[in-house]
Amino acid sequence: MFDRCKTPLAAAAAALALAAPGISHADAAKDLGVAGRALTFLENGPTGKATLGVVFDSSKPASVAEKNAIMAAIGGGYAAGALTLVGKPIDAGDIGGVSGVQALFVTGGVNYAAVGAAAKGKKIIAIGSDMACVRSGACAMGVETEPKVNITVNRATAAAVGASFKAAFRMMITEI
Amino acid sequence: MKKNFLLASVAAGLSLAAALPAAAQSIDYGSLQELFNEPVTTSATGSPQRSTEVPVDMTIISQADIHRSGAKDLPTILARVAGVDVLNFAAGQSDVGIRGYNQARSPRLLVLVNGRQVYLDHFGYTDWSALPVQLSEIRQIEVVRGPNSAIFGFNAVSGVVNIITFNPKFDNVSRVEVYGGTGQSNGASLVETFHVGSKVSVRVSGGADQQDEWRNTSTTVTKANIFNPSAVHANLDAIVQLTPKAELRLEGSWSNLESTQVISTFAYAAHRVKTWSEKATLTADTDYGSIQGQVYQNQLDALTPGRRYLNTITVTSLQDLFKIGANNTIRVGLEHRDNQLDTASYVGGVVRYTVWAPSAMWNWAVNDKLALTAAVRYDQLKLERNGTFPAGFPLIQKNNSLWDRDIKETSVNLGAVYKLTPADSLRGTYARGVQAPTLLELGGLVIPPATPAPTGVLITGNPFLNPAIVTNYELAYDHDFAPLKIKASLKAFAQRTQDVKGQFSTAAIDIPATATTWTTFSYKNVSDSKMWGLEASASGKYDNGVHWSADTTYTDVKNEPFTTEAVLILRKVAFAQTTPKYRSNLAMGWANDKWAVDGFLHSVTKFDSYNGNLLEPVKGYTSLGGRIAYQAPYGIELALSGQNLLDARQSQAKGPSGLMAERRVLFTVGKSW
Repeated sequence: MFDRCKTPLAAAAAALALAAPGISHADAAKDLGVAGRALTFLENGPTGKATLGVVFDSSKPASVAEKNAIMAAIGGGYAAGALTLVGKPIDAGDIGGVSGVQALFVTGGVNYAAVGAAAKGKKIIAIGSDMACVRSGACAMGVETEPKVNITVNRATAAAVGASFKAAFRMMITEI
Repeated sequence: MKKNFLLASVAAGLSLAAALPAAAQSIDYGSLQELFNEPVTTSATGSPQRSTEVPVDMTIISQADIHRSGAKDLPTILARVAGVDVLNFAAGQSDVGIRGYNQARSPRLLVLVNGRQVYLDHFGYTDWSALPVQLSEIRQIEVVRGPNSAIFGFNAVSGVVNIITFNPKFDNVSRVEVYGGTGQSNGASLVETFHVGSKVSVRVSGGADQQDEWRNTSTTVTKANIFNPSAVHANLDAIVQLTPKAELRLEGSWSNLESTQVISTFAYAAHRVKTWSEKATLTADTDYGSIQGQVYQNQLDALTPGRRYLNTITVTSLQDLFKIGANNTIRVGLEHRDNQLDTASYVGGVVRYTVWAPSAMWNWAVNDKLALTAAVRYDQLKLERNGTFPAGFPLIQKNNSLWDRDIKETSVNLGAVYKLTPADSLRGTYARGVQAPTLLELGGLVIPPATPAPTGVLITGNPFLNPAIVTNYELAYDHDFAPLKIKASLKAFAQRTQDVKGQFSTAAIDIPATATTWTTFSYKNVSDSKMWGLEASASGKYDNGVHWSADTTYTDVKNEPFTTEAVLILRKVAFAQTTPKYRSNLAMGWANDKWAVDGFLHSVTKFDSYNGNLLEPVKGYTSLGGRIAYQAPYGIELALSGQNLLDARQSQAKGPSGLMAERRVLFTVGKSW
């Protein structure tokens, strides 16, 4: 009985595989979605409407492009679980005077050290999609979405900005 | 009595809460699943993990899978999981096994609902119709293949089915469903979640269903044993937020069913089961970790003609889950079980055991690529019997002190998960599982004849029966063909069972008659057994709403009888003959905002079953299930579904001596709000 079914089963599976659409690429919206949802696992974290500062380097086209993509994804408000994020672009040169934001999203290529120092000084959690930002201690959290979601938290940096994550979340991420 | 038990549980929970620093949260599966874009489980190690990273062989069936299955019962859904064997004996009874060794009243599977065992402990089997859970309130079903008693607990030798319901604290689920169809099938269910103030969240559910038994085409099943299956269930789940990080969860359930069932001798019998349970769980996140204290009690009143089983089991456990540094998760626990079967109503005795079981688990994320898990559990079972014996009971067992016996066994689970690349992973596991004898096997079963000794025969348990030990090795390779959105998996496994427990047989005398005692039939360890196998599976899911999955599992079982093969047939444990070589599935589906269409092919190769003391062949079969659903306005859903669509009647568990599964078509109206 099984032998009789094996060929049609395999053929059907192959046909479906060939009918599948193309490849899906990582994009800023995915990074934003993961970052936003991760913020909901902060102890005493923001609820309702929260402002995400998007830090970019205006001299670097890639950083500007990432900022633009993030801001476009946020639009008038990005819902991540119980949190609604609104965006605020922040030039890296102005990071020392940042205010009115509950978290920072650090685009690739900015001066991480300067951003990290400002974030620690103002006790704001900084999130980046570049793991170098996390490893350097500037970002408290790094998010990757391809090939699968991965979240890395720098424990020392998180402690420095007063960020404490819920126990369940901590057990599912990489801590350094 | 039950009320006092519940009140005591609440009081104990509250007093414990007062002694703890504030700090505990239950797991918000939905949020974690959305964040990591894959199902999340806490079952394998106690801590939340992604389904792709657990150190066990696990498949997670989501609520969406359940909803789109078109099935109204759990065995139909489970049959579509790779490696799962389902014997559909009657319209209201199926037995579920994993990778072979399935049998009537299958005692090798641990089935849990929110951590509470729901298999019937007196016999070790699961009456799936008695589970007090509505399909629409299940968040996910975790199916774990292989022995996992060190991680999951008692009885988890062939695998675990862990049913996780929606959590009223996080999940607002309100749904009503009504269905009807061929075979006089009809049923209704209601699930409602609500909140009382800001600190109390409640989910209540209930349901009832009935259908005609499959037409009796057998020459051996008497009319008196045909009973149209019907069941009624109710469930309560309440969470009280004691402090911002400490919560108390109270659960209660009740079920009542009647049906035709196949008992362990593979004979049909009318059957009635009532169950009820109470459970209290206190969870607190503290400076010393996430501490959980739990107590629950299951009560059973089961009636098979001439025999009534009153079983009460109380399980109390305490565990602490904590993380050391960034990479080490530890769980330590202690469980106490008090299990008793009252046979006093007809033979004057109570058989009881208590178990103390300390356990520990260590999960070590060695680096980004390698994670190791080790778990160990030690069970110390203390058996006892009180009461009298029937007059003709064999003298060599007619002494309660023979039950004063300890069974001490250690369960072990070791697992390693290695990520070769972001798209490739290897998983290796070793397990030593312990299948303790059931209360019936240990003497709870006493069926005396109506005649004085030496005329007539006695069927009874055996207090000297040893546990079966199941050792399993498995190697699995997973690959994510991300560009094609296809995931594939290959597995190889080998298993050995020592001291297989054989049934009593009226053709195998265990204690001969004397002038004053009956001829006695009992349970006995009769063989070892070996099994090896391979499993291949793949699945794809696309943005255009199409999904598919396919799997096949091959198993080769060998009997190693202590005496002869013939004994294994008489004692209903000739697993080499009764395990099919292949079980395979193909599922395809498509959905958009309005429509959903799904089809499920399930194929099983030939195997043997039992007709009395003889084997009888069961032909291989392929069955088709499907569902077409339309989402109407106002949250109303209309669905047409069917099972066994290829044949009007089909043998799926027994040969000519059994009932044949019937084609059934159902129309369902559901509404969520």
